[in-house]
Amino acid sequence: MPRVPERHYQRRSMAAVVVYVAIVMLARAPAREATSLPLQMLYALLPVVPMIYVIWLLAQRIRASDELEQRTHLIGLGVATGVVAIISLIGGFLAAGKILSLQGAASFLLFIFPLLLLVYTATRAWVARRYGIDALCDDDGVPAYQKFLIGALLLAAVAVWVWLKGAGDFELGMLAGMAAVLAVAALLFGLRRWRRRNARRVEP
Amino acid sequence: MNNHLRALRAQRDWSQSDLAERLDVSRQTVNAIETGKYDPSLPLAFRIARLFRQPIESIFEPGKD
Repeated sequence: MPRVPERHYQRRSMAAVVVYVAIVMLARAPAREATSLPLQMLYALLPVVPMIYVIWLLAQRIRASDELEQRTHLIGLGVATGVVAIISLIGGFLAAGKILSLQGAASFLLFIFPLLLLVYTATRAWVARRYGIDALCDDDGVPAYQKFLIGALLLAAVAVWVWLKGAGDFELGMLAGMAAVLAVAALLFGLRRWRRRNARRVEP
Repeated sequence: MNNHLRALRAQRDWSQSDLAERLDVSRQTVNAIETGKYDPSLPLAFRIARLFRQPIESIFEPGKD
């Protein structure tokens, strides 16, 4: 399979995440208000579609990677699968023991996929560093600071939407906190990029 | 494993990106091989040898371990 620029996958993944957030926000009310069960299920499961697309993109990306990249991807996915499996098991036992309510278990399950992606990204970056690769700053990818900035803006938009809908302080605080963390990460990666560019300019 | 990839590349005046394109791998993979952080698979080592028209053993040699 011919190599495809990282930018190609990253732009599509980010677009899919934006679509996902939009669907989650827009399909929530119709899912509750729909009168027939099939329609209710359709609205409830609509956010899964962009996530299936993200998984398909990831598979395509791994297929088109070279052997070293595949190694880092597969170690990242292996560790992420292990972490998610253990956390799911803990959640399952807590729900079975009625320590966690069904509503709590459902919220728990919603965080499984983002957690998998987070652990996969972190592990891959850590493994890649051993080979002298900066996995967060691919040569031909979208710069890391831009990725964090988009994430921060997206979460901030959701936080505003949640605030307008009159949601609880916990939800609002969590979203605003995550947006702030991503904004700080964007700033730090932006500064690092700027310093590296300046250093390269100084070199003879 | 040690290798002479950097020297061979320099002889041809190729950048890491040029070599990566010829080998159909990423520039970072070329860098990892050159710096000895990653030992390529046998198929990739053969591709490198074929590209530089040299036997594998003249490009790669066993390291201390």
